[in-house]
Amino acid sequence: MAIDKYIMGLFKSEDQAVAAVHGLKESKWTLHRIHSPIPSHKLSEALKLKTSKVGWFTLCGGIFGFFAGFALAILTAERWDLIVSGKPVRALVPFVIVGFEFTVLFAILGNLVGFLTQTRLPRMQNLEHYDERCSGEHFGVLASCQEDQQEGLHSLFVENGGIVRVFD
Amino acid sequence: MTELTFNRIDDTVLDTLTPARGTYWLTVVLLFMGILVGLSCWLYQIFTGIGVAGMNIPVAWGTYLINFVFWVGIAHSGTLISAILHLFRAGWRNPIARAAETMTVFAVCTAGLFPFIHLGRVWLVYYMLPIPTQRTLWPNFQSPLMFDVVAISTYLTVSSLFWYTGMLPDLAIIRDRAVGRRKKIFTWLSLGWTGTHEQWRHYTRIYLFFAALATPLVISVHSVVSWDFALGVVPGWHTTIFAPYFVAGAIHSGLAMVLTLMIPLRKIFNYEKIITMHVLESVAKTIVLTGMIVGFAYGTEFFIAWYSRNPVEEYIFAWRATGDYAIPFWIMVTCNTIVPLAFLIKKVRTAIPWLFGISIVVNIGMWYERFIIIITSVGRDFLPNAWSLYRPSLVEFGIMLGSFSLFFFLFVLFVKHMPSVSMTEMKETLVEGGGHGH
Repeated sequence: MAIDKYIMGLFKSEDQAVAAVHGLKESKWTLHRIHSPIPSHKLSEALKLKTSKVGWFTLCGGIFGFFAGFALAILTAERWDLIVSGKPVRALVPFVIVGFEFTVLFAILGNLVGFLTQTRLPRMQNLEHYDERCSGEHFGVLASCQEDQQEGLHSLFVENGGIVRVFD
Repeated sequence: MTELTFNRIDDTVLDTLTPARGTYWLTVVLLFMGILVGLSCWLYQIFTGIGVAGMNIPVAWGTYLINFVFWVGIAHSGTLISAILHLFRAGWRNPIARAAETMTVFAVCTAGLFPFIHLGRVWLVYYMLPIPTQRTLWPNFQSPLMFDVVAISTYLTVSSLFWYTGMLPDLAIIRDRAVGRRKKIFTWLSLGWTGTHEQWRHYTRIYLFFAALATPLVISVHSVVSWDFALGVVPGWHTTIFAPYFVAGAIHSGLAMVLTLMIPLRKIFNYEKIITMHVLESVAKTIVLTGMIVGFAYGTEFFIAWYSRNPVEEYIFAWRATGDYAIPFWIMVTCNTIVPLAFLIKKVRTAIPWLFGISIVVNIGMWYERFIIIITSVGRDFLPNAWSLYRPSLVEFGIMLGSFSLFFFLFVLFVKHMPSVSMTEMKETLVEGGGHGH
């Protein structure tokens, strides 16, 4: 049985990377992932990426925070039910401020949790088949093929203006 | 901007992280000594009593609260630049967003110290936390001071997370060029970021949410700070204009501090091609706008005092302009509203010495604004028999020196050890002219 070979095409422009992605989609080789120094709409469109779902974490955090803020303010007021300035103990108007701040705080925390869980970060061990040039100025397109098809994949990347790195 | 390439941006920013020269460490040592002066004064106050400060009845809120409001104000422009201008897709924000966010985080940390210092018995600070204790006493969330605790802690958390998350791709760049122990440190700091399409897909989304949530937060925080005053029945404070007035003032002072920090940074780190004159000019133009808003607020306060026909209000505002604190008052008016108008002249707003000079003048003016608001109102309260004047003591000056030293100390350490310009966002401007995800 032939062994899979991982090959990365490194491109200086996102248009070249997009062209390589289109080429890969029409081929029999497997596109694994793309590394890029910046977010790219063109690549997202080429990959037909769906909108991230982290917004749901943000929304849940915000809803939780809204109620948590009110609950905290009401709870503490009830535990020490001193009437201040003639205001009711459960003074909802001033508690809106606490509710608002907690909404933002927990929405942000939810946002962060969503990001970390969806991207599976933090990851401290080295990522396999990663080229350090990708954080600088190259768009890296990682694909795999069977060992005997290396030539074809290599030429696809070169034809689109990339330089090629073959991983062992 | 056309001369820039991805590699050149990386090289320019990473060059700033090379080992520092003697002058840098001398600056660090001097600032550290300033911190020690402030710390010594604070310790002296703790062991001797809050009476060593110049505050007394009726002026029980002095420089500690002035500095608190001043630093919270400074903190606001970082989020304005990184969040609000991100939503408005103002491309000129990108070169200065990182330094402005850093300024925000360190300014909030500095501001956060002042309620502790003002408290006197700092070990009782936990009274403000809603935790069950043997006292069975709970904080009252009807108080604007408790709003402040919630708002400032939220702001510190959110701005720190926003700042750190925005730095992840840049930390990965440093990791990928580092070796040895440095590589290990930056591997941890970058959380293993590799810029995969999946990571960017989620990252651009959370960055947008960060910006969208930080925008109302930044407005709410300084509004809450203003309510520390406006919810008190004190002449000169008890007014509905305070929230927008404080927010505009905060942005005004923060933008001035951005210029004060950016101009030396640009020169020392050879950032001329990144932080272009267009960027500085855009900040200057925004300062003209905020200066006019602040000036309008000053005028409105006087108009409302006159229009209300309330003799106490009328007196307090007349006294501000002509009484014992007339000099600080006119310093405030001149520095904040008249001097920034010089930026209307193109030659002024494109000349580095003028930009730097006027930014410092605005900073001074904004400090005096807080002085005038806080001191004059309580110094001339409803009871004429309790009227008094206030003069900061040496201990207060020492602590103030310490706070400025702390802020600049943290900033100076940061810019030499972390990327002070967002390389990723600068690269984005080369491709499509926007921030993350545009």
